[in-house]
Amino acid sequence: MAKYHERINWKKEARLLPGYIIVILWCVFTAVMVFWVFGASLSTSREIFSGKVLEFATGFHWENYIAAWKTQNVSVFFANSLLYATVSCAGVLLISAPSAYVLSRWNFTCSRTIRLGLLISMSVPAIMIIMPLYTLAVQWHLKGRILLIALYILMRVPYTTMYLLDFFSTLSRSYEEAAYLDGCPPAQTFWRIMLPLVQPAVVTVTIFNFLSVWNEFFMALIFTSDETMTPVGVGLLQIVNSMKYTGNYGGMFAAVMIVFLPTFLLYIFLSEKIISGVTGGGVKG
Amino acid sequence: MKKNKSLIFWFMLPTVLSLLIMYVYPVIRTVAMSFFKVESLTASLSKWEFNGIDNYIKIFGSNSFRVSMQNMLLIWIVGGLLTLALAMLFAVILTSGIRGKKFFRAAIYMPNIISAVALATMWVQYIFNFDYGLLNNVVDLLGGEKVKWLGTDMKFWAMTISYVFGSVGYYMLIYISGIEGIPADLYEAATLDGASKATQFTKVTLPLMKGILKTSITFWSINAATFFLWSKMFAPIETEESTIVPVIYLYDIVFGGKGITQRDAGAGAAVGVVLTLIIIVIYGVMNLMLKDTDLEY
Amino acid sequence: MKKIIAMLLVFVMVMGLVACGASEPAATTEAAADTKPAASTEAAAEGDKKYEGVTLTMWSMWNSTEPQGQVIAQAAEAFEAETGAHVDIVWKGRDINQVLSASLEAGEKFDIFEDDYKRIALQYADYTYDLTEMAEAVDYNSFSYPCLNDTVIDWVGYLNSIAEQPQVGGIFYDKAAFEAAGITELPTTWDEFMAACEALKTAGIAPLALDATYADFTFYHHLVHQLGEDRIEELALNGGWDQEPGVAAAAQDIIDFVNAGYLVDGAPDEFPSSQNKIGYGLAAMIVCANYVTAEVNNNTQTEVDWGMMSYPAVDGGAANSATYAGANSLAITKYSENPQAAFDFIMMLTTGEFDQMMADTAKQIPADSRNTAPALQDGTVEVLLNSESPMSWCASLHANSDLKDSIKTLCINLYDGKFATGEEFAGAMQALY
Repeated sequence: MAKYHERINWKKEARLLPGYIIVILWCVFTAVMVFWVFGASLSTSREIFSGKVLEFATGFHWENYIAAWKTQNVSVFFANSLLYATVSCAGVLLISAPSAYVLSRWNFTCSRTIRLGLLISMSVPAIMIIMPLYTLAVQWHLKGRILLIALYILMRVPYTTMYLLDFFSTLSRSYEEAAYLDGCPPAQTFWRIMLPLVQPAVVTVTIFNFLSVWNEFFMALIFTSDETMTPVGVGLLQIVNSMKYTGNYGGMFAAVMIVFLPTFLLYIFLSEKIISGVTGGGVKG
Repeated sequence: MKKNKSLIFWFMLPTVLSLLIMYVYPVIRTVAMSFFKVESLTASLSKWEFNGIDNYIKIFGSNSFRVSMQNMLLIWIVGGLLTLALAMLFAVILTSGIRGKKFFRAAIYMPNIISAVALATMWVQYIFNFDYGLLNNVVDLLGGEKVKWLGTDMKFWAMTISYVFGSVGYYMLIYISGIEGIPADLYEAATLDGASKATQFTKVTLPLMKGILKTSITFWSINAATFFLWSKMFAPIETEESTIVPVIYLYDIVFGGKGITQRDAGAGAAVGVVLTLIIIVIYGVMNLMLKDTDLEY
Repeated sequence: MKKIIAMLLVFVMVMGLVACGASEPAATTEAAADTKPAASTEAAAEGDKKYEGVTLTMWSMWNSTEPQGQVIAQAAEAFEAETGAHVDIVWKGRDINQVLSASLEAGEKFDIFEDDYKRIALQYADYTYDLTEMAEAVDYNSFSYPCLNDTVIDWVGYLNSIAEQPQVGGIFYDKAAFEAAGITELPTTWDEFMAACEALKTAGIAPLALDATYADFTFYHHLVHQLGEDRIEELALNGGWDQEPGVAAAAQDIIDFVNAGYLVDGAPDEFPSSQNKIGYGLAAMIVCANYVTAEVNNNTQTEVDWGMMSYPAVDGGAANSATYAGANSLAITKYSENPQAAFDFIMMLTTGEFDQMMADTAKQIPADSRNTAPALQDGTVEVLLNSESPMSWCASLHANSDLKDSIKTLCINLYDGKFATGEEFAGAMQALY
């Protein structure tokens, strides 16, 4: 932290100049792209095609957003994604947290196998599991939102369990011993005492689960069969495709912004937490 | 602490069931299906006909599959080199003591956070657009002739480059954490010995990051083998030869893409098994080549 | 810091709940609003309605927001008011073909579905209802396009779908551009066509727009006129492209066409960039199906005055009158419990008032040949009515589904000027085998 108050050492900065140029160019490129798309989302198709996006000669076309939100169904996609992301985040915690705790505390029959199984599951490609799951879903007449939520929960279980397991193993056993002496039953000890103790890890892993479900595409493409249950990713693809027939480019870029913004805003506030989470915990190879 | 059998049982049950339903059963069934003639995913088991390795013979004899494997290989090698080199470059720059490190780090990682569909749409509909796209505006400014970035010649590279853009941030974070894990006194000693920055990088940084490199290459390989979304975004309506990858091929023959009248779930399963084997082989080779010598530092 | 994060997370969760909460009640009140009036009219008119208490489920290939979807929804309302049968519409979107096979096999409960008529005929025939009798009862052939019905019967053995959005292919052109170039008579042979292109070019308008997606379709026209569909199918399945002089000749025609500079800048382009250039007045013609006219007008927000003509005849060609025709059609599931009600609803949708509405709002060819086509589809109804054996969408070229993507790439390269001679192209095609 003290670094920031250091006086500028021009010699040192000059040596770092090539580095600055490279990262600044990269960031400028990213920014231009996002700003242009934002600009396009406020323009008409004609302005976009004639290359006059950032001039706003005919004003700001906020109605593109209204059109995208209402007539292009983005509101439905958005609500679906929020529903999927929040419910599966909660669901996966309910399944994973207790197991992670038990795995971190005791060795029992199969505990090694289960750990290994979790680890391997994390790198099983989706294409290996999707076909039988599709068959099951059709045979059991499972469909709609429930099916997707269930799949998302199951999909995130291995990662979440492994991530939380690491944190539970760092907790001292003295908590449980104290609780045991007070006569608190073990299950309650877990929910009341142990789980709150790993709250930071729970928050981090939930952020990751949220992002991953929000951005999920492959399963959604295969398992959503009608527009009322489509999440944002697949919905956006549909909008992009039908835009080619209807020509509402402004509306399409507005839809892109609407899909882009929630995770982007989340990231602005939580980037430190997210970045430290990427390299900490379960992902470490 | 005393073992509490019923607690263990009830706390573990949901996770074990998830593993069985979501991974164990499907993987076994997919592997089995790859040895049977199965036309439709929903066909009942009684309609499965054992046909040995015919499905594998079929896919390897298929022109589309061969093209898709070539494309995948190019993404893996060229895209991989680009991504990992850029990620390493950024990691080295950001750990060299520049100002605003946190900001740059966050900005470069950002594309990994947002919806890949949105990101791909930005590239396809803006950066690469022929008429008003960013690249062609730059080309125009420099006095060149507009390029058809999404024509059959360039489309594959356009897709690969935008995918690299979207992935670099993640590998950069891994490398940063690797570099920061190397104790500073090693560099001080190297500097005292008169080693240049470049020598320090090849003699100190790289050897100490073997484990991290291995992890990153393995991750990249998995991502390349299961490459799907970007291909779908670059050819959303009809599969094209320039962007087809194995998962797209699988998707088309299992779910029936445009113009495909004969679905073949068995061959799809064979594609899945082949891709998984590739991942396992890469994982094994990585472990052999870059053996963790467990340098103590 | 921790607190802030926790609060943010809570905020996100609450937002989520609010959003879900907000959307769900809205949905239920809507549903309530929908059902109530219907229920009361039902009660009032109970007994005298034909399909009282029947519920039909329809899987649509459109989205509820598209013009086609809106017309279908209106037709469903009218159908309920008239017959008492309620039609549930499930909007599956354009990817419907990816779920249909599996759903039909699994016997999912739906009565009517929409898809391309050829897929309905070739892929789903086992699960579709034989419509022959019901169609005869209403004398369907007299107000539809016999060429489409015959093709279906040819494929399946009986009629298993009813055309909803017929399509016809050919060259679509901007009448104003032709006028500006002084073209008064439409070219009917390749030589006349080349002359017309020269006139357009001299007038400063690029003759032909072409998006890569349609490269194989465009070349297919030329090839079919030269060789006929059967011969192409033989070649596609067994190879021998370099042995057939017609292939090199057709490719050579295209190479000459490209070398003369008759393609618009950027072609073959990424769909829909090139076709839009007609809307911007940069190009005059495109080889496509009739929907291109509505797409271009929509995309560019212009009102191009469209005309349609047949692809020109090729010298010594085997099938110079071949014209593409096809349709999005409606079919009834074999296991539907109310096939007659389903058929009546299909009739309501594809004839009279609602068909006209569909033609007008979605700018399509009417399925009911007694209706009138919207202005920008001028002439299409006549072409369809006169067509005897329609040419299918690149079918014989796609006969080898494993090679079709590679063949398409070669067609794109052909228009991209990558081949110096027709023989070179034929050789490249043969090299795929």
